[in-house]
Amino acid sequence: MQPRAEIAHWLFAGGFLFVGLVLLAEAIVGRAVFRHRAWRACLWPSLALMAGSWLWLIAIFSTFSTLHLVAHSVWAQAATAAGAVQLAVVRGRLHSQYWSLVTAGALFISGASFLVHEQNGWLFARSAFLHHLIGWTLVVASVFPLGEALRPRRAVWAYGFAATWVLLAVMLFADRDVAPIFGHLSELAGGRP
Amino acid sequence: MRRALLGVLAIALVVPAAASAHATMKEATPAEQGRVETPPKEVTLRFDQSVVPPADAIVVLGADGKNRAGAITQSDRDTIVRAHVMGLVKGEAYTVRWRVVSADGHVATGVFTFGVGVEAPPPTEAVGSSGMTWRDDVARWALFASLALMIGVVGIRLLVLPRVVDPRVERRVHLLGTLGAFLALNAGIAGFVIRSANALQVSGVDLLYADLSPFAESTRFGTAFMVTTLGFGVCLTILAVAWVLDSATLRWPAFLLALVLVWGYPLSGHQATEPNSTALGEIADWVHLVTAMLWVGGVVTLALVVWPLAPDLRRAAFLRFSRIAVVLIGLLLVAGTVVAIERLPEVADLWQTSYGRTLLVKIGLVLVALAWGGFHHTFVRPRLERGEMPRSVGRSLLAESAVAMAVLFAAAVLVNGAPPPVETGSTSAQPSAGR
Repeated sequence: MQPRAEIAHWLFAGGFLFVGLVLLAEAIVGRAVFRHRAWRACLWPSLALMAGSWLWLIAIFSTFSTLHLVAHSVWAQAATAAGAVQLAVVRGRLHSQYWSLVTAGALFISGASFLVHEQNGWLFARSAFLHHLIGWTLVVASVFPLGEALRPRRAVWAYGFAATWVLLAVMLFADRDVAPIFGHLSELAGGRP
Repeated sequence: MRRALLGVLAIALVVPAAASAHATMKEATPAEQGRVETPPKEVTLRFDQSVVPPADAIVVLGADGKNRAGAITQSDRDTIVRAHVMGLVKGEAYTVRWRVVSADGHVATGVFTFGVGVEAPPPTEAVGSSGMTWRDDVARWALFASLALMIGVVGIRLLVLPRVVDPRVERRVHLLGTLGAFLALNAGIAGFVIRSANALQVSGVDLLYADLSPFAESTRFGTAFMVTTLGFGVCLTILAVAWVLDSATLRWPAFLLALVLVWGYPLSGHQATEPNSTALGEIADWVHLVTAMLWVGGVVTLALVVWPLAPDLRRAAFLRFSRIAVVLIGLLLVAGTVVAIERLPEVADLWQTSYGRTLLVKIGLVLVALAWGGFHHTFVRPRLERGEMPRSVGRSLLAESAVAMAVLFAAAVLVNGAPPPVETGSTSAQPSAGR
């Protein structure tokens, strides 16, 4: 009675795309204009918080290996922590710019978990390739909130952060099929010897 | 130098991945925890990719511990591993332990059971499984302590402390409650993995790639794990939102949901699996658990929140908690007695069985905690009512919290232990390990 993995991946890809577009809109028009309506500032942190809750649902259906169970629970906790802290920042409950470090840490830990949980090599199949790419994207993208904490208000951090989510959405949409990558599909995954 | 280090780090992360390929078991025949009416001639496992089976890739064990599996063969591009079996008889259950090597060198392992003309036992009762270990006890204790923070501290904030309190008190209650939810989730996962590892008989890297799905899908403790993990995840989100919005009211749904979820433990423990289990016993177990969490949480709240942060609140909080504590302790003792009578039908079981002896240790610790609480009730409370503020109450509350944590550890050992067998009619049922 387990839900198909594709559905979960596409659901999260849809959410990531929405978050990415919201953040991109904020980066383009500027924070002052975008946050003229207070609720807009709460959009991505609220979605991150919600994603954290949803990820527990995925985690309990990921018991086909200990590694998958632990990785999904790490993502759930990282999303909850980053979403809650960022929501507290935009609501004025927390004030320091250094709270962005929580988002940076959450991205880094999520990326590292992605890399560890993918048990196959880069060129095993398309899904494995994209899992590695997603992991590295998350690890590298932790630079953007890190920059926001250390050198705040630079547009590059906002653009980079927004682009990360759009990129992640594209990769998640495409990562479920057993398909070749660059014309290569591992023999172990059903490719020709 | 920095560039060289970054380069080495990048290569170290990329290169091992390029050589890896890990297999997952997709289907078994006979099915995991399935029932077949005629003895099968072979056991077949289908993987999502080709694997290399060692000579003992599939072991089929009967209740006598003897292996019924013969030669191993492979087909369909080495994705199917098959073992011929012989000597299986109707009316018996069998354990299948499998072990294959993936292309990355990692060993994928799993265990499941099936019955021939009988229902299959849960995988926790597979032949060769070890019983509970000290790791299970520590995980269970961590879970209880976390629940005392999440349910106890949040509950006492809602039930005992005034509606408006010092913001520092509110912040610390938020912190302890949310921390409790985080810890409860992780302790639950650790407990589930450790319990599964006892049946799988693997550790270290092999455990990372072990298949836990039979435990999640075919055992009571697996079902409880799935429901409580999802529910506590929701509680965590609600508590986080309550913190962001600084809303005490929002804590109510998290608190009430957590109270309902705790029911998962009696439903997956001895109170539900033993032959003489009753609905009253399950309810008593739940009441016992909830009142213990609230009592421990109350003492912790006084020791870690009220005493250090809100001197003005000490007297009122202490007196209000004292009144509630009397009710909590009463319920705790009555419920505990009902549970103990069900689990130990003979008084002599108290000193003749390890379960009974653990219960005696727990009762001893509870008596110490009760004496401590009684001292506070008898000597500290009247002085507080007179407007005095005895100096060492804060330290005394901390010490009482430590005793309460020791009680929780004894409770964890007791919950993981097997109660003595119960006579049911003409047959003697064995204690159930399949939780």
